[in-house]
Amino acid sequence: MYLTKTQEEMLSGAKGVALAKSMELIVKIGDVYNANQLIPIKSAQVAGVSYLTVGESIFSFFDLLAKDTVKVKVPTWLNPAGMDMKNWQEMGISSDFAEKQFKIIKFYESLGIEPTLTCAPYLIGHQPSFGENLAWSESSAVSIANSFYGARTNREGAPTSLASALTGLTANYGLHLTENRNPEFLIKVKANLDSLSDYSALGYWYGKNFHGSIPYFENISHLDINEAKMLASALAASGSVALYHVKDFTPESSSVDIKNIEEKVEFTEYEKKGIYEYFKQIRKGVELVAIGCPHASYEDIKLIHAILQSREIKKNVEFWIFTSSKTKKLVEVESLLNDLESRGIKIYADTCMVVSPSVGGAFKNIITNSAKAAHYLCRADTTMVDLLPLKSLMKEVTE
Amino acid sequence: MMEVRIRAIVEGKVEGSILVSRSAISFLGDIDAKTGKIIDSENSLYGECLKDKIFVFPRGKGSTVGSYVIYGLRINNVAPLALVTKEAETIVIAGAILADIPLVDQPDIDIFNILESGDNVIIDTNEKKLIIKK
Repeated sequence: MYLTKTQEEMLSGAKGVALAKSMELIVKIGDVYNANQLIPIKSAQVAGVSYLTVGESIFSFFDLLAKDTVKVKVPTWLNPAGMDMKNWQEMGISSDFAEKQFKIIKFYESLGIEPTLTCAPYLIGHQPSFGENLAWSESSAVSIANSFYGARTNREGAPTSLASALTGLTANYGLHLTENRNPEFLIKVKANLDSLSDYSALGYWYGKNFHGSIPYFENISHLDINEAKMLASALAASGSVALYHVKDFTPESSSVDIKNIEEKVEFTEYEKKGIYEYFKQIRKGVELVAIGCPHASYEDIKLIHAILQSREIKKNVEFWIFTSSKTKKLVEVESLLNDLESRGIKIYADTCMVVSPSVGGAFKNIITNSAKAAHYLCRADTTMVDLLPLKSLMKEVTE
Repeated sequence: MMEVRIRAIVEGKVEGSILVSRSAISFLGDIDAKTGKIIDSENSLYGECLKDKIFVFPRGKGSTVGSYVIYGLRINNVAPLALVTKEAETIVIAGAILADIPLVDQPDIDIFNILESGDNVIIDTNEKKLIIKK
């Protein structure tokens, strides 16, 4: 791979250990994927924030980085933490866990990273532009950046996105190259997509069957950002899919090559039903409803409020919505908060059901409308899940 | 004895007993960084420990935080001797670089038809070889 003199210097260690290790990650991965050079990035989004997922090993990595004074070179945002940074006690988080969590975020902030603590930076004003190169790591955000906005990012690892943030560079391979963005399977969507969870079921089904490939969906009649993020997160969770195209909706759908697609498959009501059946594990007593995977937008919260009408959440059921603190602080959301809370719905910021110890394992029976959330939650041996559309799950847990 | 050509990603020369997973590995969720044990109950290697073994698996999957789990295995002294996979991806490569665990991929034959847990192999990244001793 061609490196400039400055890049060579960083790699050699002349600019310190942290930058050398960062360059080693980027260059070695670039070599594996036959990158010809490094390219500048516009922004980075870094995973590896929740103490639950990173554990103690993150501090050894921080020690390595702290050997030099380094700062990020581009706007950089953080993935969700393991707790609501304000209301962690209410979530049942121990003070030991909270202490570690604060320490992790403090370190990232010392690097100049903005502690947005969300998997959906595009919902809080950080939408990428068409054609921009990025280094994002949260798999659903990667897919949204590529698919919905037409920006270009590979599915970075937590450490590689940080390495790119610190150097302002990534290797030029994979989804940064136009020729790698063509679809491989054409999916005719015959099933009705009536709810957010239907988009999630479609994504989960595709990822399960066509791992790591790029789909081109046709016959979808509606795709807004809230639907797109359900589709994206499920595709990534079951199939590591980092880019999808939807005819008439996504920005590259008209320019990609669909003539050479050999495999054409249908997604019918039968396949859709199959995904709901796959997650139907709860036999008795729902304890928690978990919404906000990916993080809820204002529209998502408004929709729940509208479906709730005058009803209340049953006494023995917890109902948690996860979002970013920036969304929670929106005037429109704040105006709904009291009403939602008085009827049994809590909104937690900065965290989610996938990365907080207060959810998976802590509750035995959890309903969600997100296939990604269901996928990760039912991994805890003690947790059973059920994937349901919002309207059906609200019916089940309200009175 | 049988020689397999491989691609070297993280350098090293090691010899040891192998653990073979038939299914893809999500290091976050499937492996406990503290103990090095495989904690995915659906994996036939459930309960086995990676420490000082050569870990053979078809591919990585799942959360990108998996790289720190691999690094954690090193810090907690339960790291495998080496990682062997069909096609390495970013999570595994980054983890192996950070943890300095030899990593090879692209074996020129389908080793999953030949290898079984407990077999002894030598990995030599200089020679770009994996030698199966059975």
